[in-house]
Amino acid sequence: MSALGGRLRALALRLFGAVAVIWAVVTVTFLAVRAVPGDPVLAILGGPGSNATPEAVEQARADHGLDQPLWLQYVRYLGRVAVFDLGDSYDLRRPVTAIVGEQLPPTLGLALVALVLAWTLAVAFSWWSMRGGRVAWAIASFLEAVGTVLPHFWIATVLIAVFAVSLGLPVAVSRPGAGGLILPAVTLAIPVAGFLGQVMRERMLDTLEQPFVVAARARGLGDTQVYFRHVLRHAAVPAVATTGWAFGSLVSGAVVVETIFARPGLGRTLLDAVMIRDVPLVCGALIVVAIVYVLVTLATELAERLLDPRIAGGAGAVEPAPGGAAGPGTPGPGSVRGPADAHAPITPAGAP
Amino acid sequence: MPELRLASLPHPSPRLRGRVRTARIMAASAAAVAIVAALAACSPGETERTTLVYATGDAEPSCLDPHVGGNWPQALVGNQFVESLFSRNDGGEIIPWLATGASEADDGLSWDIALREGVTFTDGTPFDAEAVRANVEHLKDPATASSTGVLALGKVERVVAVDEHTARFELSEPDGALIESLAQTWTGMMSPAGFERGIDENCQAPIGTGPFIVESWQPQDSITLVRNDDYASPPADASNQGPAHLERIEWRFIPDAASRLAALQSGQVDVIDSVQPDALAAFGDDDAFSTATFARPGVTARIELNTTRAPFEDATVREAFALSMNLDPAIDSLFAGTLDRSTSLLSSSLPFAASFPDRFVYDPDRANALLDEAGWTARGADGIRTRDGERLTVAFPVSTNQSIPAEVSLLEQIAATAAEVGFDVRLELLDLATWYERSGSWEFDAIIAPYSKSSPDVLRTVYHSMGIPPAPSGYHANNTGLSDPALDALLDEASQASDDAVRGPLYGQAQQAIAETGMVIPLYDQMVQLAYSTDVQGFRLQPQLGTPTFLDVTIGR
Repeated sequence: MSALGGRLRALALRLFGAVAVIWAVVTVTFLAVRAVPGDPVLAILGGPGSNATPEAVEQARADHGLDQPLWLQYVRYLGRVAVFDLGDSYDLRRPVTAIVGEQLPPTLGLALVALVLAWTLAVAFSWWSMRGGRVAWAIASFLEAVGTVLPHFWIATVLIAVFAVSLGLPVAVSRPGAGGLILPAVTLAIPVAGFLGQVMRERMLDTLEQPFVVAARARGLGDTQVYFRHVLRHAAVPAVATTGWAFGSLVSGAVVVETIFARPGLGRTLLDAVMIRDVPLVCGALIVVAIVYVLVTLATELAERLLDPRIAGGAGAVEPAPGGAAGPGTPGPGSVRGPADAHAPITPAGAP
Repeated sequence: MPELRLASLPHPSPRLRGRVRTARIMAASAAAVAIVAALAACSPGETERTTLVYATGDAEPSCLDPHVGGNWPQALVGNQFVESLFSRNDGGEIIPWLATGASEADDGLSWDIALREGVTFTDGTPFDAEAVRANVEHLKDPATASSTGVLALGKVERVVAVDEHTARFELSEPDGALIESLAQTWTGMMSPAGFERGIDENCQAPIGTGPFIVESWQPQDSITLVRNDDYASPPADASNQGPAHLERIEWRFIPDAASRLAALQSGQVDVIDSVQPDALAAFGDDDAFSTATFARPGVTARIELNTTRAPFEDATVREAFALSMNLDPAIDSLFAGTLDRSTSLLSSSLPFAASFPDRFVYDPDRANALLDEAGWTARGADGIRTRDGERLTVAFPVSTNQSIPAEVSLLEQIAATAAEVGFDVRLELLDLATWYERSGSWEFDAIIAPYSKSSPDVLRTVYHSMGIPPAPSGYHANNTGLSDPALDALLDEASQASDDAVRGPLYGQAQQAIAETGMVIPLYDQMVQLAYSTDVQGFRLQPQLGTPTFLDVTIGR
């Protein structure tokens, strides 16, 4: 009972936490969007170079419930959000759920491709720097540090200058399909790749001195085999943990990248909505982003557990247990850290 | 890019060098092939070009029906599918479009407008007097929430169909600007059957009589326009009298100026608007691209001063502020010589625009003398003048949606030169909603607000005292707050006259009177600035508003 009950309680706590996060996002954005001076009705009806009549202003105020007291607007909004009715956009005159439903997939697709690209780059870098010795290590370290701090708008501008203006390729603005995804995804991936790479190599420093690595090397395994069979798994754990954060950064980066490459998506929608203070759309988009963020965080926690069962609080293994396809020489559960001695063959428990 | 250098770094480990090198080269080649293939897939093919791609940097409209709200982005795209009763020719004269003529009643309280025969909307609904009546009714319906169009037709009480092809506009008072007001996309004609679908559906795809039809609209991305094969209602100055040569226009929204420019340079789009001054200047020397510019009809880009509070309630201080600005060299350098400084309240594309070159000059000595005279004699440690311990500050909110970077730079220079005579100009860069709030609550001393209208009657919209208090929200078209019965009377009289020999001198007097108040400092014409590939032939800006027309366009190869 206790194990199942404990899990259920943990699950309930986690769900409660997720709902609390989303409620906080709703409340903070609802208040923040209204706290800033500026009447949304004027922005909606005004627009540059036009002049709304009093009748039109009154009509719009009544249509959007903006003549109600703030607390009543808030309570009504919460009630509607609870049944996932996010209201109608002031500006676009359509349900927010429909708009977000259209704009979320391109952004998620972009973020996902960028994430895969960032991981590929980070893995490639850490692998290369392990095999390449001191110089490669230093170069990788430098490039990652630079990549981490490059702003998205700068990367995008350079990519456009090189590929569209200099090479004349039709990539300045993004079109549907794989071709249109390349530059935006590269733009988003570079800073994240730099960050993931740094985190991975930091862990590698420690991992490379571990007895199982030393043992593997002693058995004559090459750098590449050692890396992909043993080191990567360990180095990836902290990087996976930061992927949730990285995903958040990808979504915020999408605001810049979607605008520069003129891609449809939630980031650009959010920016436009903030500029004209389209309250339902701003709140609705942020709620959806919060939900996605919570889901991604849960997924990364799950992935961490799969990679490193110690997090689950299980067998009390000192070393992370290998997966089923563990190669020869990997330490089994309960293996003892021995002195690092490359010459003394260590036969770990469970090895043939 | 760091990652791109990866493949060229030397491989330091001796082991497996050969195998890895091969793998690396193969991987690099595969990646390169994939990238090139993907890029090639999205490049325009070698087929005949009957689709034109237009990239706009203006805002994406929230509704394509130009009666709803009524702003510049709507007029830009609306001109492709909605036509007006009248247009203008290159000489600025009113010419027939969907109407063939107009006659004013002797008492000035009605106009009979004769309509072109045989025109149908693209849904098959006939264009007739009944349709004109339905359009004006739609425009005046509060549910439509029209702003620009309904203001332009403010004196129109109703439209009655005299016969099938004659619409009578009945007015509350004479309106000499009526025909000019009807030469705007914001008062254009749409199918009454389209209105019956409801505002939201009509917003998605309004039905006009124009050379193109709205096929679809992907928000945040593009509007697809297809050719109206039955088109037969060009304005009188069009060279093509039949359907357009182009089959489709892809109307793309590309907010970033650099991306828009790169898209044109790489051939991804054919025409771009909102071209920044430096790019516009560079295209002047480039054979591959042409440019088109037009002074938007309406008021010029100008600084308006709030006369309802200190320091600009004092006309002497207003004059000193105007004299502190060294505008000619600043405008010339910041706009790369692409536009001229204006000393006029009205756009140079409007009739009766008067210039005041002697009034708006740079004279810091005189500015200093005027400020001394006005009592702002003491100076703080930072050189800012004070009077009775109060600093001479100028609150200047700027909307980043409406002012391009060059304009913001110009305002910074203005602030710098004004500081030399003792003004503390505080520029505040704001989003549009906050900017409207400042304007509405009169929390500013100086402001820039665009207003376009294809008639000198725009002066009445912007400077008549009726524009000061009207909306319950506090929103107003008049940003100066100056209430002058004599000026009001002059503007009313000018707006009622339809004879140019009468209205011309009246508008001249009105401009003189406004200039003398010192509450307006003209900067330059609001410009429409486009650039396009020289493959695009027959492109022009239609002079009723300066919006692009694609009726005559072909794309060469």
